[in-house]
Amino acid sequence: MEKKKPDSSVFTGSIADVTFLLIIYFMVTATFSATKGLDFAVPKEKQTDIIEAEEAVDVHILPGGVFIIDKQQMPLDKLLDYVKPKLERNPNKPIIIRCDPEAEYKYLVDAFDELRQAPKKIGIEIKNISIPTQREMEVISATMGGVF
Amino acid sequence: MKVKRTTGLSAYIPTASMADIVFLLIIFFVLTFNTDVDRASRVTLPKSMEREEVPKKAALVSIDKDRVIRISDGEETSKAVGRAEDVLSFAASIVATQPGKPIVVKADSDLPYKIVDNVIDQLKQARVNIIYLLTEQRTVKDKK
Repeated sequence: MEKKKPDSSVFTGSIADVTFLLIIYFMVTATFSATKGLDFAVPKEKQTDIIEAEEAVDVHILPGGVFIIDKQQMPLDKLLDYVKPKLERNPNKPIIIRCDPEAEYKYLVDAFDELRQAPKKIGIEIKNISIPTQREMEVISATMGGVF
Repeated sequence: MKVKRTTGLSAYIPTASMADIVFLLIIFFVLTFNTDVDRASRVTLPKSMEREEVPKKAALVSIDKDRVIRISDGEETSKAVGRAEDVLSFAASIVATQPGKPIVVKADSDLPYKIVDNVIDQLKQARVNIIYLLTEQRTVKDKK
């Protein structure tokens, strides 16, 4: 009598079902979270130079997205044109971004982003962008006799 | 009269390649899988053209629309803190244990700057070396 051979095939019919369940799990749990942003290195205390207010370009942001650049109101897209000749004369020209406490945060990001685009738009890299906090400005103002 | 029956079309749909496609999709999701440590906060990020890749596992301070501040060391899910001053002790512990670790500020775009300024000031006081302001990609259609 002939012996019956055992079935050597592996049942793969349910693989598609299992993998679909895995896909559903990953799709539900996956988040395409934002992982990019604007970086700014905080100067180390030893490196910190006191910036003379008269030397620096002062970008003052008011509520509603009003930009006052060196005491003149101008649209943000004119900022780089304004600073270009100053940077050509002095590539280390510091630019101070001051934001009114009640101004929306997005306008600070707009101004910072505009300055970071300088290499693309005017072909000069701005090396010295400073965003002092309110407390730092008060300290500077006190030491320099109310500049800001 | 005898009607000749036409041979029916095959109703078979080949599904043999389905498992291969599904496996490829799984590989895609496994590679792109990203655990978000800050799912709780609802934040509309400001937009910028220039964006740098934030290092993975960077510590995070988020401020949502309701001005709730949450902190995370990048490993654990974010937790709310009562005051902005708590950010200082959090950042100081990060600087002490993992010097050089960047901290990401994830703040809502419409917040008054004084809220964000206070948090950034705490980070500066804790001597954090690199701070990232998390942003979304600005497109040409977005108007400043």
